[in-house]
Amino acid sequence: MSNLKIPKCDIEMSNLKIYIQAAQQISIQQPLSESWMMEPVFYDEPLVKAINPSFRDFMAANEARRMGNVMKRALVTALQVLRDSRVEHPDAMMTGTGLGCLDSTEKFLNAMVENGEQTLSPTHFMQSTHNTIGSALAIYTNTHGYNTTYSHSSMSFDLALLDAWMQMKIGKIESALVGGHDEMVDSYFELLKKIGYVGAEGMVPCGEVAVSMMLNRRMSSGQLCELAGITLYNTSSLDELKSNVEDMLKEAGMTVGDISAVMTGVNGNPWHDHYYQAVTNELFADVPLLHYKHLFGENFTASAFGVYAAAHCLKKGSVPSCLYDAGTPRTCDTLRTILILNQMNGSENSLVLLRKV
Amino acid sequence: MVEPIFVTGAGIVSAIGVGKAETLASLKASKTGIGPMKYLSSIHSDLPVGEVKLSNAEMMQMLNVADDSQLSRTVLMGRIALREALDEARLTGDQLRRAAFISATTVGGMDRRELFYAQEKDCDALHAAIATQGCGSSTERIAEPFGSFAMLSTVSTACSSATNAIVTGANMLRCGLTDIVVVGGSECLSMFHLNGFNTLMILDSQQCRPFDRDRAGLNLGEGAAYLVLETKRSVRRRSVKPLCRLSGYGNACDAFHQTASSPDGEGAYLAMQEALHEAGLMPGDIQYINAHGTGTPNNDESESRAIKRVFGDHVPPVSSTKSFTGHTTSASGSIEAIFCILAMQHQFLPQNLNWHTPMDEGIIPVISQQTEHVCEASAKNIDAPAKVIRHILSNAFGFGGNDSSLVLSKCDA
Repeated sequence: MSNLKIPKCDIEMSNLKIYIQAAQQISIQQPLSESWMMEPVFYDEPLVKAINPSFRDFMAANEARRMGNVMKRALVTALQVLRDSRVEHPDAMMTGTGLGCLDSTEKFLNAMVENGEQTLSPTHFMQSTHNTIGSALAIYTNTHGYNTTYSHSSMSFDLALLDAWMQMKIGKIESALVGGHDEMVDSYFELLKKIGYVGAEGMVPCGEVAVSMMLNRRMSSGQLCELAGITLYNTSSLDELKSNVEDMLKEAGMTVGDISAVMTGVNGNPWHDHYYQAVTNELFADVPLLHYKHLFGENFTASAFGVYAAAHCLKKGSVPSCLYDAGTPRTCDTLRTILILNQMNGSENSLVLLRKV
Repeated sequence: MVEPIFVTGAGIVSAIGVGKAETLASLKASKTGIGPMKYLSSIHSDLPVGEVKLSNAEMMQMLNVADDSQLSRTVLMGRIALREALDEARLTGDQLRRAAFISATTVGGMDRRELFYAQEKDCDALHAAIATQGCGSSTERIAEPFGSFAMLSTVSTACSSATNAIVTGANMLRCGLTDIVVVGGSECLSMFHLNGFNTLMILDSQQCRPFDRDRAGLNLGEGAAYLVLETKRSVRRRSVKPLCRLSGYGNACDAFHQTASSPDGEGAYLAMQEALHEAGLMPGDIQYINAHGTGTPNNDESESRAIKRVFGDHVPPVSSTKSFTGHTTSASGSIEAIFCILAMQHQFLPQNLNWHTPMDEGIIPVISQQTEHVCEASAKNIDAPAKVIRHILSNAFGFGGNDSSLVLSKCDA
């Protein structure tokens, strides 16, 4: 059946709100669960693989065998989100991934070099493009709508979220499945460690990411929160960043004083954390500070965990103690809004504003 | 009525030339850039490829950068194309602060990585940095010498990547996030994807023959192309002269198979329909289709069906310019968009080279008058268009069924 997308105008643009209806994760915490809020798992190892759920509950064994870990996890989080939100075919699917199906890519590359470009099998190549994940979601759910993939290092998920937000703002779509997905293999971890991205002394573990969420312009009974704004900006100037934050808040009808908590991607890597510290000290000195990577680990699309965790906090109406920064007062008396900061290279910034419904 | 989006700059490098002037000359002379492998090092050197006719060292010289082993060919080609696009749009320094840069790639820096792969185990930080250059870092490095864009983004949907970068950029303009976007893609040949496509057995050992009954696969190519897109307000404010309009775009998913297109071309059909709908056009308004036309048995059959589903018995002239450049994968969408712009500016139909025999129920592409087979349909399709070219449809389809189409229109159309 054709589901040709025609701009939908039945929702008043002036009354346009975007909701996060459901969000699920598979990570180094318990999969498909919010048990990390009360019983977080902590690790000492520098590289921790995700805890897989029972894939058999979601797909046949022969289907599972054909897919790598990152694809299976993406599919399971997506299927659970489709169930939770009761959306069968979202109007759009936006996927963010830093490295795509890394395991397949590494296997094909290794076989190609080892065998001198001979006797190669196509299987790993077929699953090596970055959009393999996003298209697998469409193939599995038979969804013909808009489908795209962003692969821009640590901004990959944020760009996917921005795309959904933009197309909702201009009335092209009503619902979107947005995800961030990355896996890790030992050999590639060693390379990333050499460049100081992960594995640094005192740093959170490198983890694996599978986060899916449903964005919807329609209000339903169980939505987690409102996506009140998102801005991506390339600048290393604090002044410019400040005016971007103010512009975004203004558009959402808010000021800095209305922010209940700021959530950052601080990960214990001093080379990386000082960018966040400069911003939070300068712009949000009096706002309670939250972090999430000490629970979920670092990886290119780890910022998806920030949005996922903040959305669930807003649904719950409180912040679990495990998210608070050590130096911040552990209180968000009236949890109304959370601003999530993500950055890379000290210049590419993402600001995501979530508001309680 | 939606605000029009104008193209105000375009830059290109491919097997048929560096820059728009060389590209136009090759297209008009029907001169292919596909030939024996010269710059890529692979044991499959018998496979014809569409290489950019410059070594990395020559490109570095053109760009006036010091010899740098970290720079991937994707970055070098990208900078050459970006420079031309920004120059034409007169976008410099401060003005870049208003513009978003959205670049597409899939291979990224794989060409560098595969060179040093054997030493990775014991490599130093520099070589680890080379090995971990992902898609995003290619975008950052391409942009680096030109200044600071307001935002950077990398789209990666395999062979439709550049078209989807154009789609994302257009949505940004429509949404009012910014009033200038620079969009397109860059992709160099790599051993990795040459071998990958080879294992899929979809590479032709001869020059590719899109839409021919005896077609036997694609030839891989490489290149880069970028477009500057602006809102009407920005065009007026900066007093720049637009080349054409991006009047419509569509993105749909075939949702059929990771590396094959559905027999009825559902994704392609939906993408073309959406692009036409957004442009407010009927199929009869299109004077030329630049097909995805890879030359694989599967694509050309599926795309023929999809085109016929949209256009019925009145299919406008169609050609696949991959017969000139090879399949430039992630860059093909923006490279072919620029071919369309040239066709519109200079009012000619790029030919579909190497076509001799019609497929069963396939479309009959634009061929030269000299071709032996001149049937009634192709007699109409000689390279001088019968009608003024006002609107062009350009297709790009990727692995996983990530299918996208663009409609480019004359400014006054």
